[in-house]
Amino acid sequence: MTQLAWEKPENVPVEASPQGIQWKYVIGLIVLFVGIGYLILQGTASGARYFISVDELLKGDYIGKTVRISGAVIGESIRYDPQNLIIDFTIANIPSETNDLARTLHEAVRDPKATRLAVHVRDQVKPDLLQNEAQAILTGKLGEDGIFYATEVLLKCPSRYHEIAPNQSIADPSIGK
Amino acid sequence: MLAEVGFIATFLAFGAALYAAVMAFYSVRQRDERRLLSARNAALATAPLMLVSLGALLSALLTEQYQIAYVWNVTDPNTPTFYRITALWGAQAGSLLFWSGLMSAFAFGAIALNWQAQRRLMPYVIAYTMLVLAAFLALSLFFENPFERYWIMPDDSVAKGVFALGGAVPPSAVRLAETANGLNPLLRHFGMIVHPPLLYMGFVGFIIPFAFAMAALASGDLSSNWIKATRRWTLLAWLSLSLGLVLGGRWAYDVLGWGGWWGWDPVENAAFLPWLLSTAFLHSVMIQEKRGMLKVWNMFLILGTFSAVIFGTFATRSGLVDSVHSFARSAIGFPLFFFWFAITAMSVGLLLWRWRRGELRDERRLHGWLSRETLFVLNNVIFVMLFIAIFWGSFGAPIFSELFMGTTITLGKDYFLQVTPPLFLALFILMGVAPLSAWGATTLLRLGKALIAPSLLAALVVLSLALLQPTEPLVLLIYGLIALSGTVALWETARGAAARHKRLGENWYTAFTALIARNRRRYGGYLIHLSIALLGIGALGSELYQQETQRTLAVGQSLELGGYVMRYDGFLGGQIAEDGRIMDIAQVTVLRDGREVARLRPRRDFYPNAEGMNTMTIPSAHSTLEGDFYVLLVDWEPISAQNATFKVFINPLINLIWWSSLLLILGTLIGMYPERRVALATATVEPSSQLAGAKA
Repeated sequence: MTQLAWEKPENVPVEASPQGIQWKYVIGLIVLFVGIGYLILQGTASGARYFISVDELLKGDYIGKTVRISGAVIGESIRYDPQNLIIDFTIANIPSETNDLARTLHEAVRDPKATRLAVHVRDQVKPDLLQNEAQAILTGKLGEDGIFYATEVLLKCPSRYHEIAPNQSIADPSIGK
Repeated sequence: MLAEVGFIATFLAFGAALYAAVMAFYSVRQRDERRLLSARNAALATAPLMLVSLGALLSALLTEQYQIAYVWNVTDPNTPTFYRITALWGAQAGSLLFWSGLMSAFAFGAIALNWQAQRRLMPYVIAYTMLVLAAFLALSLFFENPFERYWIMPDDSVAKGVFALGGAVPPSAVRLAETANGLNPLLRHFGMIVHPPLLYMGFVGFIIPFAFAMAALASGDLSSNWIKATRRWTLLAWLSLSLGLVLGGRWAYDVLGWGGWWGWDPVENAAFLPWLLSTAFLHSVMIQEKRGMLKVWNMFLILGTFSAVIFGTFATRSGLVDSVHSFARSAIGFPLFFFWFAITAMSVGLLLWRWRRGELRDERRLHGWLSRETLFVLNNVIFVMLFIAIFWGSFGAPIFSELFMGTTITLGKDYFLQVTPPLFLALFILMGVAPLSAWGATTLLRLGKALIAPSLLAALVVLSLALLQPTEPLVLLIYGLIALSGTVALWETARGAAARHKRLGENWYTAFTALIARNRRRYGGYLIHLSIALLGIGALGSELYQQETQRTLAVGQSLELGGYVMRYDGFLGGQIAEDGRIMDIAQVTVLRDGREVARLRPRRDFYPNAEGMNTMTIPSAHSTLEGDFYVLLVDWEPISAQNATFKVFINPLINLIWWSSLLLILGTLIGMYPERRVALATATVEPSSQLAGAKA
């Protein structure tokens, strides 16, 4: 009896399958696809943001265009006016993202030669993650005055996204944390 | 000891899964029942082994075994027990292991429950579930091992390994406890105890319909058997995923403090993508069951759902996308991508093979634009178009531009707000119309007549929303179309109960319960439609009519917003909570028409021991059906706190989003509840279910 389990069932009804393409539905579908495709294309054209580095932003012709940039936050530059909800800070160019983001950000902030860019954000509460050596991903426009006016701020704190290992201190109880 | 137990149990589970997969395939080739039994037993063994493995990690977290790197990373001596449990899925390695544990539990249930009835599909179900499980366990064993421990090497350097390396000694337990990292503050929210497990259950649960679909393709049993066997599993996975998504929104609303709940962030979208395909699948399988149509399409949808699950996992866990929800950039990126590619190629290959052989031909054709099957097909097409639009916006455009244009183009929230609303609206319209149409064909006149009463009910909903706040006519029309999808569900249920009441003389309660009991799938589905309509109204209202303001107030001063008055009463600085965090709390009173309606305590938490991110702005809200009065403490004057700055939002109708999920749960449970025995008996005489294996 169990052997039967391997056999293909013989009594499954195979109805004569209807043949031919139902053109009116195919055409309906094509119209729908074209319509939605157009919607997606339009959305892409108006919503597209070039994702570039600080260096690329300053070298290219981007003044007045909405772009997305990434840079390392310089902690001491952060100025926050909580009454008017204005945030000003400076970011440093990140050369290229490596697997060790924490080190890349750390070096970018300390490198005096790294290109820096002043950022101005209005009407936003200072994000909890805005701190030294965080990676800022900003959407906005570069003004004629060389300041980047950001409308959207996304921050990544490397320690949150990277596993931290205990340092040598755990080897010797006499060394502080 | 716990590290060894956990590691060995995981390793054995990996071995058992691999053995079961190979043996199951081999048993089919050899037509060998003994080998199949052996494969089944090995597959069933993975669940208890994973229970041991997860138990070991949980015990290590609870008993503070900081030598285990994972425990050191996600807890510290101040972590309360509650968060020690949630820390199990608080970071990459633990959550991967948890994921595999859930997968083994799902596989255990599906194999044990269907073993007798689905003998022909079983070898392949075992093979595919175990293949996927083995792949995930391999990630845990070789890339993200949660049982690795810290060791001090002879040269005093710190190394990581499960077992002691030559000459290594364990670090001092005291030093380890002193330096332990603690759970990421963002994850210290009560929602984190249910949100990740539900989301994972949703993701992982789709392994069952996926494996059965693959089994149907591989075995050649292409009847609706695989659909019947997996209907409840699919609903369970779908419910979990739906609740996981809503709770994720709630977490963002409570913790991230930006006044919103859905940001069209790539990681949110990655979890939403399988939801879209699986929802389409839940609808289109009905057409296959009732009309013998859409066989290829159903296969495509469920294989696509699982492929989207693995892709979403890859996107979230590899560091591919920038998001507040993503995990650490990790070495599992490439292997997970490879696995996604392999599983997708395998699924598509099998599907194409059966299709070309002409074995997935439909038994009927579409009749008329207004027939229920045509409307269902249309609903499916729109779900898939939404999938394409959201995939393109989140992953397609950035990847395409990077590969072919030498630059990266990302699409922001405005892309999604432009492209998705018309598609969502189309879905709501179909949700209203399709349940009223008949299988085969429906005339416009009949459909129009059926729509009259639900439309009047929808108009009442629109009227009450218009009275609640001034609303533009176009938005009222959209409210009406969304409401219609819910009122159709309500009206149809009431009509059915009334017919029973009149025809059979049953009292209203009996008529209502008997009606639902007679067709649980339909009325469960209606309840889900009602919940989605409420969610739609909540989402639209909170998105379009959110009001916000910010002000600095001195103690005793007030601000006004949307008919509410908020008074700053005082400040409690430096409150220390039991987990060691320091809370600065503002006390405010909310008044309406001169009467006090709530006292709120927005606050800022500071975690002195946390590395990196150590402050959290926690909002406080006064919630009613009408909406939320949501307050954030932005800043305050040091020491005296005589002045404090607040950002205040009014989010109209937002609570409909959370409350609708209760109806969603109820509706899905009704739909999942087994039909009565009479119904089962009739089902077994259907020719398609007369399988040799079923009879055996």
